[in-house]
Amino acid sequence: MKAITIIAGMCLVFVFVWERVDVVRLGYHIERLKTQKVLLERERDQLQVKFSALTAPERIARVATDKLGLVPPQQGQVFIIHPQPAAPVLATPSVEQMRVARSIPPTRGEK
Amino acid sequence: MGPSRIRRYLLLLLLLAGFGTILFRLVTLQVLQAAELTARADRQHQKSVTLEGARGAVTDRHGKVLAMNMEVPSIFGVPTSLDSPASAARSLSPLLHIRRDEIEKKLRQDKHFVWLARKIEPEQGHRLERLSIDGIGVVMEGRRFYPKGPLLAHVLGFVGMDGLGLEGLERRYEAQLHGEKRVTILQRDALGRTVFPKGLREQVPAAGHALTLTIDEVIQYIAEKELEDAVNNARAKAGMIIVMEPQTGAILAMAVSPRFDPNTVAALTADRWRNRALTDTYEPGSTMKVVVAAAALEEKVMMPGSMLFGENGRMTIANTTIHDHEKLGWMTFAQMIQKSSNIGAAKTGMLLGEQRMYRYLQAFGFGQRTEIDLPGEVGGLLKPPREWGRRSLASISMGQEVGVTPLQMVSAISAIANDGVLMKPYVVSEVRDQKGQPLKNVLPQVKRRVVSPDTARTLTTILEGVVTNGTGTKASIPGFRVAGKTGTAQKVDPRTGTYSSTLSIGSFVGFVPTDAPRLAMIIVIDEPQGESWGGVVAAPVFRRVGEQVLTYLGVSRDDQVKIAMAAR
Repeated sequence: MKAITIIAGMCLVFVFVWERVDVVRLGYHIERLKTQKVLLERERDQLQVKFSALTAPERIARVATDKLGLVPPQQGQVFIIHPQPAAPVLATPSVEQMRVARSIPPTRGEK
Repeated sequence: MGPSRIRRYLLLLLLLAGFGTILFRLVTLQVLQAAELTARADRQHQKSVTLEGARGAVTDRHGKVLAMNMEVPSIFGVPTSLDSPASAARSLSPLLHIRRDEIEKKLRQDKHFVWLARKIEPEQGHRLERLSIDGIGVVMEGRRFYPKGPLLAHVLGFVGMDGLGLEGLERRYEAQLHGEKRVTILQRDALGRTVFPKGLREQVPAAGHALTLTIDEVIQYIAEKELEDAVNNARAKAGMIIVMEPQTGAILAMAVSPRFDPNTVAALTADRWRNRALTDTYEPGSTMKVVVAAAALEEKVMMPGSMLFGENGRMTIANTTIHDHEKLGWMTFAQMIQKSSNIGAAKTGMLLGEQRMYRYLQAFGFGQRTEIDLPGEVGGLLKPPREWGRRSLASISMGQEVGVTPLQMVSAISAIANDGVLMKPYVVSEVRDQKGQPLKNVLPQVKRRVVSPDTARTLTTILEGVVTNGTGTKASIPGFRVAGKTGTAQKVDPRTGTYSSTLSIGSFVGFVPTDAPRLAMIIVIDEPQGESWGGVVAAPVFRRVGEQVLTYLGVSRDDQVKIAMAAR
């Protein structure tokens, strides 16, 4: 009985010590992950700033005109086509229907 | 007493002395010096850091980032830990681009902490860390970035070195934008590594709120580019442009030329970053005739076809002579506006009378702030009628003796475009928390009705005439019906206190398309050289900006609509 009590006591001490050590180990691990998270967030922010700078309209216009030789459209060169809402939306044909459609020979005049 | 007994007493004495010394030391450490030693231990084991949440971002109406925070390195020195300040300064100088003697002077100070360089480029920080100099450290601090450079700078403003908003939106929305500040205690082990916060879990301070603007970065770019070109071509001192959505009061673009880069404001003066579109007043000149005409039509003092005599270009009022830019005879009220006759406007003003004139000027928002959500706005200059002179009524009718801001003037023309309803201008449309959840949605706010829809429509037709065959033909946009008014005002020469013959302000204010207005716009060119007429220096900017912005917004030209309808 005495031996069992001693062993149980030792086990408790061992569990307690192990738990404390593990808490410290996990603390280090959490700290490492936090540092990693901070670094990743910092990198994300750097990329966001870079992306925003690269997509600035002023830069895009400069690249379009200076590098690519594009010019702004002149009067009457831009036509805005609004979609016709009246046209009914066709259902997407099934794979079988598409196979059938491909097998039909073109009518005269079609290429 | 035998020698063995003496030895025993001596041993006992020695033991007592030893234990006594230990006891004394224990009492000293554990009782007398307990508080001081505990504090010292805490200083060694614990690290107190002030954590600050990131400042909120600012985006345009489509979510494009205009301002955001990023963590960058700041370099500090601990002079008391340095072996050789001269050697450290020699290593740091080329890296930080600071003179060696300047760094050395800081490092020789009798201090525990000195800043050497704050918020430097990340690459500089990496290189410094690789040098690993004892007594020199790196900490990360939040730095404000404006990735689009000068775009929208006068509206955004900027922050100071400590992250406080000093100008523009950064200042106006400081309370919403700044992140939470919190002091946290961290535990350190023998190697100085951070182990775990003292509490159960560390609370990360909340980031500041983010702002979504009514501004569209593409429209802003178009406005800035065309304004800059106009200012350069006219060799003008400055220029301002505001593009507004008439039905809501939402500002789509607001720019001042010359521009500045908010990323590098240290070398600039307040004169350069002031948002003159709302902080400076000017005498509007003939653009004020829009308000006079609206009042005259609303009060039925005038009809579009009412006849006025132009006095052949000269009229004397209160011992002073009013001139027109051409000799005009009989003309209709509509022609008077289209030809921008000062004499016709003065006569109309006198028919209205002081009280009605003053009432309409106030109703259109002159002499008071528009209450836009930007700092530094002024209310302009509008004296009450009891302070008016004998010529004041005539002068105000042609845009003199009254000081307005470009923002007030574009709000007034927006009211005409909006069937007579004046809206409150605004720049921020939404405030969001750090998770992107909306905290506040700003809705368009009606200020008051200033004229009836009939009056607004009649005046719109008259103002269309200004652009089709009046002084504002250079503002016409092929395929769209444009309404507007030119203005050319002499400036007061600060040396003589009288109107200058060389200094002037050319402006144009208008809206497009007139049947369903999408844009109201004002362009003000300050002190253009050479030809200074508003119809020459400002009206073309309206056309170029309007043309590009309407295309960008997908607004079809009238002729294209007709083609499309014919094709059906």
